[in-house]
Formats: sequence, C-alpha cells, structure tokens
Amino acid sequence: MTDRQDSVASPAETQQAASFTKDLENRLIDSIKNHEGVSRRAVLGGLALAGGSLITGVGTSTADDDSTLPDETSGFGAPGEYTNQQFDPHGFLREFNTGDATNERDAIFGRKDDLNGGVYEENGQTVREFNFTAINVEQEILPGITFPMWTYNGQVPGPTIRVEEGDLIRVHFTNGSEKMDHTIHPHLRNLNPRMDGVPQNGPGLLKPGESFTYEWQAQPVGTHLYHCHTLPLKAHVHRGLYGTIIVDPKPERVYDNPRKYINYHGPITEEVREMAAERARSRNMVTHAEYSPEGFDGVDEMVMVMNGFDTNFNGDNEVYGVNTRGFCYAPSSTDAYNGEWESSETKHPIQIDRNEIQRVHLVNMIEFDFVNSFHCHSQFFDYYDAGTSLFPDRSTIDTILQCQAQRGVLEFDYSNHQPGLYMFHAHQSEFAELGWMSFFEVN
Amino acid sequence: MADSSQTEGSGTQSTTQPFGVPRWVTAIAPVVILGLIIGGFLLTSPFADLGRGDALPDATVEYTTLPNDDTIVAHVTNNGPPIDIAQVHVDEANWQFDVSSPGEDAHLKTGERATVTIPYQWMEGYDYEVVLLTADGVTFGTTIVAAQQTPAVTGALLWDLAVIGFLVGVVPVTLGMFWFPFIQTMRTKWLHAVLAFSAGILGFLIVDAGFEALEVAEEVPTFYAGPLLVVLGIVGALLLVQSVMDWRTDDGDESRLALAYSAALGIGLHNFAEGLAIGGAFALGRTSLGAFLIVGFMAHNITEGPVFVAPLAEGERPSLGHFGALGLLAGAPAIVGGWIGVLTQSPLLIALFLAIGVGALLQVVFDIGALIQDAGSLRSAPNLAGFGIGLIVMYATDLLITL
Repeated sequence: MTDRQDSVASPAETQQAASFTKDLENRLIDSIKNHEGVSRRAVLGGLALAGGSLITGVGTSTADDDSTLPDETSGFGAPGEYTNQQFDPHGFLREFNTGDATNERDAIFGRKDDLNGGVYEENGQTVREFNFTAINVEQEILPGITFPMWTYNGQVPGPTIRVEEGDLIRVHFTNGSEKMDHTIHPHLRNLNPRMDGVPQNGPGLLKPGESFTYEWQAQPVGTHLYHCHTLPLKAHVHRGLYGTIIVDPKPERVYDNPRKYINYHGPITEEVREMAAERARSRNMVTHAEYSPEGFDGVDEMVMVMNGFDTNFNGDNEVYGVNTRGFCYAPSSTDAYNGEWESSETKHPIQIDRNEIQRVHLVNMIEFDFVNSFHCHSQFFDYYDAGTSLFPDRSTIDTILQCQAQRGVLEFDYSNHQPGLYMFHAHQSEFAELGWMSFFEVN
Repeated sequence: MADSSQTEGSGTQSTTQPFGVPRWVTAIAPVVILGLIIGGFLLTSPFADLGRGDALPDATVEYTTLPNDDTIVAHVTNNGPPIDIAQVHVDEANWQFDVSSPGEDAHLKTGERATVTIPYQWMEGYDYEVVLLTADGVTFGTTIVAAQQTPAVTGALLWDLAVIGFLVGVVPVTLGMFWFPFIQTMRTKWLHAVLAFSAGILGFLIVDAGFEALEVAEEVPTFYAGPLLVVLGIVGALLLVQSVMDWRTDDGDESRLALAYSAALGIGLHNFAEGLAIGGAFALGRTSLGAFLIVGFMAHNITEGPVFVAPLAEGERPSLGHFGALGLLAGAPAIVGGWIGVLTQSPLLIALFLAIGVGALLQVVFDIGALIQDAGSLRSAPNLAGFGIGLIVMYATDLLITL
C-alpha cells in the first residue's frame, strides 16, 4: 500500500469525488462572488478539505473482525472514530468570520447560526457585528469520550473572528447558560474599561439570560484571543470559553507608518516601506483575499487552538489536542512496521498545497499545564509572536513554546518538500501521546 | 440441646389459629405485604422528586497479567452502574486496546468482568500505569510494579511448584510429626504445655492470615465487599468445622482423632494460602525462591507437625495410616495452593481462601483450649509459657520468609 489514495478509493470514485468538488466549488463561488466580506481563499480552503475528506473517507472503515487491534503490536493512539456531530475541527481549521458571511459555518458541520451580524459604516468606522451566546454542550474530545463544555455558540474553540485594524467589533452577547455567569474578555488594546469583560467593570458578570453588547477597537494588528473572565477562571477557561480574534493590517496604514508594524530599528527607506506593505497585503485576508506572495499560488491560513481536557476533574488533563479533538488531524490507523497509514472521515491529516504558503494562527489555551509547544518535522518556520509584527520575531526555527494565552503566527514553505506526510505536535511527549499529534499531507 | 427443644415444643406452642386464619397464612403474610408495598412503590414512584442523579461510576482493575513481551492484559470488574470503556492510557499515552467481556465487549454492566488487552512493548522491571477511560472521561486504573512476564502454565512449571509445595508443606509437617513418640512420654502437665504451644503457633497464624486477608480484601472489587467476605469466610469456616466436630461421637479417643484431623485441616488451609502466595509470586515474576526461602518455610512449618499429633498423645495411638493422612491433609495443600496461585491473582479468591483458613484455625484453638480445660487448668504457668513461646517461635521463623 504505497499509494494510499489508490487503496482507499478506486480511480472512478476519486474522479467522481473530484468532479463533485469542482461542481460545489463553482456553485459556491458564484453564490458569494459579490459578497465582499467573504474570503474566496477561505471558501476554497474549506472546499479543498471537503473534497479531500470525500476522497479519503471512502472505504476506510478498518478490519471487519471484532478486534480493533492491529495485526502487529506497537498500537499507539486512540482507536475508534468520532461520531458526535457537534463540532468539526476540520471545518473549524479554515473558518474565518468577518461579520459578513452566509452564517453557514464549516466548524459546526455546515449548520447555520447567526454568528455573523453584518458589516456597516458608522461615524466613519467599519463596524463588524457578531452574535455570541454562551451555552452548555457535550462535545466529543476523543473517539467515544465526551466532555461537558461551556461554550460560545456551541463550539470549543469558540468561533474565529477576523477583522481589519481600526474596525469596531460589536458583539451582542447573551448568556444562555442555565446556572453560570459568564463574560467575554478580549485580548485587544481596548480603550474603554466598560468593555473589558471582567467582574469589576461595565456590566460585570452576566447572569443566565442576561445580554450585553461589547464594543472593542480592533487593535493592534495580530492574532489575539477572547475568553470568559468569570471566576473561578480555571473552570471557565478549561471548560471551553475561548476563541481567536485576528486583526489584519491595512497595507496603506503600514506603508504610511511602518515603524508601528515592524520590529526593525534601521532607517525607514522606500524599500522597507514597500516590504512592510507587501507583508501587510499578505497578512490581510479580509480585503486582500486574492493576494498571492511572489512565487506562490496563495496563502492557506489555519487556526489552531491548543487545548486540553481534564475529564476526571483531578487538575490534570487526560486529553490534549489542537482544536479540541485529540488525534483528529492524524491518520486513523497506522501500520507501524510498514510505514503505512489510513485516513478516515473524522481523523485525517490536514491537506496542504505545496504551491501555497501555509500560515498557522497558533493560540495556547491549555489549562493546568504551564506551557504548551509546537514542533514540526522536516521543516523550519518563521514565527511572529502575537502576530503584532509583520517581520518575523524568530526565523528558521522548528519548535516554539507558549504559555497560556500566548499566541503567534507561524509561516511554512513546503514548496521544495516531496509530497507526503509531515508530522507536527507538542514537544511535551505526554501532550503528543495524549492527543496533540497532527500531520500535514503535502500535495 | 435435645431436652430443651422438647420442653419448648410442649410448653409454648400455640395450637389455636391466630386471627382465625391458618398458620401458613401468618407465616407468609409479612412477605406478601412487603411485596405489595414494593410493587406499589415501583408502580407509582412517589419519591421521583428525590432523584438526585445516578450512582457514580466505579470500576476496579483487579490485577494485570503480562503474557508476553508485547502485551499487557488488565482484568477489570465494574462495581458500579454500567460503563463503556472508551479509551486506554499506558503511562499517560493513548494506546490501542481490545475489550473482551461476557456481554457487549466494551459495555460493562454492573458486576460484569472484562479483560482489556493492550499491545505494548513493556520493559522488564519498569513500572507501568494502566488507566481506562469511560465514555464520560472517568478514569480508573492500576500500576504494574516492576513488570515481569506472567509465566505460561506448563507441565514443567506445575512440577516445579509441586516440588516446592512438597518441600515447604509436606516435608516439615511430616518431620514435625516425628516428635509424637517424645510427646507420648510426657507427663500430662507438660503435654498440656505442648498443646498450649501448639495453640500459640495457631494463634499467630490466625492473626497473620487475618491481617493478610483484610489487606488483600482492600484490593477486591468493591462490588464483592471484600472485608465483609473475609468476615463471612472466617465465621463460616469456623461454624462448618465446629458442626463437623459436633457431629462426631463424644467418645474420647475418637474425638481426639477428630480434633487432630480438624487441626490438620486448619493447618492444611493455612499451607494452602502459603502455596497461593508462592504461586502468586511466581506469577508476578518474583521467583527468587532460593534455598534460603525454602529453608525458612521449612523451619516455619516444622512446628506445625506436633500441633495436630499432640491431641493424640494421651489416648491409644491411632494406626499409622491416620498419621500419613494427617500429614498429607496438613502439608499437601501447599502444592495445590501453588498451582492455583500461579493461575489466578484474583484478590477475591485469595482473600476468601485466607479467611477460610483463619476460621478453621480458630476452631482448632477453641478445641485445644477445651481439651486442656477438661483435664485441668487452662491458665497454668507452663500452659501460658507454652502459648507465648508458640507465638514467639512463629514470629521468629516468620522473619525468615520474605516473599
């Protein structure tokens, strides 16, 4: 089984899946062509994934006999398939909400909600509106194991918000939980203390059934987060009340005032201005979705929230992962003594195109452990801590460490790599073996 | 006994019909009424408001076996409400597994037992934490200490255990019986002291095995209520042996022989438990049963020989066949115990066997006490000294055995 796809789907099936994907792609692009808020790139990303899972999902159910064990030993990993249709980490990975979208969201298996509330101008400022509701759900975190979550909009991690620097983020928040008080606290440079989402300011804690509209200034540029600030914090964070806010840079602002956006202390020449503006275009998905860096077909952006779950409430996590489901971006089964593997619908590597730049927005929301990390195999990346600088803070590294709430942007170039599987995982071996082990499949 | 029951029978029995109904009606009435109440209760569920959630999940990994280099097998009992075994951790890492149980494999009903087979390349002498996760994320597990392969049960292994059991059980017990001619020549006073010495030895074994039974009972899945099972085993064995003794005639020689047999049985049960421990040590890979340990067991057990022949010293000497039978009854169970011990490390069985031994030994001590009491003073200085020396000898020889 050297060619995995041949083994899981006949050429006819693959072709069928491919034409299906193409159809779907065209229809979706048509339907949103004039919707300037929706990124073409995001839609394409989502489709590539849907197509990929269609192909790889065919005929992958393993062994018909009773035993779930592989023929030979060395059976690491969590056997079984995910069955709960609450949250799709594969859809979540590339879902970015700008306030103006169809509200049919990949993160929740294409179900609709009213997360995106619209985009409009107000006093010369772009306002992006979102509707957040705190609700409790059971979410599957390993095949067969569910965890009682406290969530924003029924998903952990919460929805990813994507805005431009200088926008106003208006969040209508309703506490839909039955018993618990909640807030939303953004990690942004927020100038109004009433909007900070802590018990001491503004509305303070929102009781069940109460609502409040938070207004946050979208600054600074970078990858940030939001979370509930009700005490005990450990419980409210660990149970799932967190998500990502990405603030994209405006190229013209960067061009006018590059100092603010780059960690560079030399003279600002025209060349530096242009480099910084170029970086800003690359980083801006909201208004520059079509942008391709020189030599590439585009940018493939992904959100990875490193989290964990203490299922027996003993103050130590039993399950680790990125985007909640342990091992969801890894093969569903591995033939360890022959170096072979298989995908399934719910557990498969992230499909990436070597002709695109890969950009990961990495957020660490682990509770109970002091740090978390990201390490990738056979690859080195550039790292932008909190994404607040447009020039890398660290170049050519293969491992980074983050404390809780630390986040950053990672950029990968796989253009010279041979197609195939490349692992990435936490380099705390325990976290990796308890679920935080993932793969890119370079195509 | 017979007299008193006759008196009761004629004096207190009422021949009238209470409440004017047949007697059998009054006999079953409470049960019938209870049934009606339970039925009504189940049908109407009047206390539905008091429902405060389900019982908490509770399962135990009773023991683990390591049949080969690449496999860990966890033996699980579900003590609580039904659970599903959803994932397995070995040393804080997710691992593949296969659940095998009488019912639906990964779904364990209350009281159901299962084996969880995990392909894992373990290292000899290392510790491994094996944790099972239920569908709710509840964890239960155990730690394998200093992993050693569980021996396959082969003819050679059973033969080895038989030889060891023979050496630590039959040989010293038989040797101890050779004190019989000497005991026969003793004066009653000193003979009683020897009997008291025997009681001291047995007393030590009772305490020793009793503690161990309760200790093992802690590992018994709570579903079986281990400590209560130990109490039941002790009292049950005591009553059973006592009733067998009472069933014998009151003839002096025959009752002495019966006492000898019951003492041999009690010691046999004790040696059976010793065999279990030896077999268990084999199963866990602790097979450093060197010559020293066998010597220790022999020194420990040689004192058991005179215990069950001492009651025979006063009357007519029974036939040699009886001596042979007594020796086998007291010593040979060590062999059987070894075999069972290597086959199962179930704390449930081990606790039960230990408890039964304690009960049988208790009965013997009571009988020896009664024997001395009938013929003189129980609390004479030689008797007390003999009892004390019995305890000390056992304590001292016990130090030679560290399994």
